[in-house]
Amino acid sequence: MRRKAVLAFGVLLLGLGLSQGPFRARLEAAIQGGGPRFAQVMLSQDKAQALCTQYRDRLPADLVPKFLEEQKALIKYPASGKLMGDWRNGEKVFTDPKRGNCYACHAGDPKEVAHGTMGPSLTGYGQRGQSEAVVRYTYEKIYNAWAFVPCSLMYRGGVHGLFTPEETADLVAFLLDPNSPINRR
Amino acid sequence: MRKAVGLFLATLLVGVALAQGQVDPREEAKRQKQLLLETAGILPTELIVAQGEELFNRKGPSGKTMAECDFGLGKGVLEGAAARLPRYFLDTNRVEDLDSRIVTCMTRVQGFKPEQVKRSEVVAIAFYIASKSTGHRIQVRLLFPEERELYALGEKLFYARSGARDVGCATCHVTYVGRRAGVLPYADVLGKDKSWTHWPAYRYSNDQTWTMQDRIRACYGNIAHPQPALYSQPILALELFLAYNNNGAVVEEWPAFVR
Repeated sequence: MRRKAVLAFGVLLLGLGLSQGPFRARLEAAIQGGGPRFAQVMLSQDKAQALCTQYRDRLPADLVPKFLEEQKALIKYPASGKLMGDWRNGEKVFTDPKRGNCYACHAGDPKEVAHGTMGPSLTGYGQRGQSEAVVRYTYEKIYNAWAFVPCSLMYRGGVHGLFTPEETADLVAFLLDPNSPINRR
Repeated sequence: MRKAVGLFLATLLVGVALAQGQVDPREEAKRQKQLLLETAGILPTELIVAQGEELFNRKGPSGKTMAECDFGLGKGVLEGAAARLPRYFLDTNRVEDLDSRIVTCMTRVQGFKPEQVKRSEVVAIAFYIASKSTGHRIQVRLLFPEERELYALGEKLFYARSGARDVGCATCHVTYVGRRAGVLPYADVLGKDKSWTHWPAYRYSNDQTWTMQDRIRACYGNIAHPQPALYSQPILALELFLAYNNNGAVVEEWPAFVR
């Protein structure tokens, strides 16, 4: 009885191995059909992207702590240690579609009406003050949003190098400086 | 990619007025269509359909017209054919959508060389053939292993998060349905919006004639992701996934007229 069960299990494993292998290969070949650049990006998901894909953005609770920890470890800081930079340059990064592209999802400067509604409005964000905790949270959230909310829509601009640690600090200043158009009335 | 990002920003800016006024984009498209009909007397979609019909009846190097081709319901049968695509074809041993089946017809039956197949002609012919499915229900099946496997790939791609923007189709079109990043709110493509039935279409805001292939490529462009090649497996896979999930939806009008 037991031997039979083991044999059946072995056959099952063999079957799985046989069907999974070629299927995976065919899947990859199909993705390659989209062209080398498409395939390169599609087939090089990092661990976090693969998890978010697998669980369709709803990470099981027991995987969350490790996920957040690993994402936090990816955050790099400016050599100077200053997490608040120049808000004027921050505005440029914020607006640039190739770097921050923040208006795609967030409201910011009230004069800018071409903004998306995917994320919360950032107008008046500076009301939170400039305590160490606020500055640090703002910096880390911008650099790697997945260190706070796994699989959130907000992409990990710092991790992917869309902006540097220094530019992240400039973005922080754009959000927190009382003279920034985000906070001026 | 740069162009796509630029285009994205441009559409964002152009559409501000509309977005601010909270006009229903579908109602606005209907109004624009009516305006165009009153001023020009004919719609761009009708012109392209007529052009597609001409191309359909044009003889290829082999002396055959496209009426010699099988679009899934038998030789030359067009009524309702597009509503049943993509599907597996025995003669090519692969799943084809309307676009790729047109290319197959032109190359295998009409005798054109692959490099002679112009994209603009394929789109016009797609407009014509699709026009014969207005009023039909989407009926796509997963019968052959090739169809099931391609569907599985489409589902995987739809939910995949990849690239420097960490996004994928589902991020916006499932999780953030109704919010907007540009002019229009994100469509519920698997649900109530039945987006599969909105293409092929004429986009009046950009004067573009697009099939779903172009639309999917533009989606990737908008998220700064390298685009899958035209007629490629990833596009077909996503199309099959979208179409199957819109099964039973009635095609209101093909080609459609959209913003």
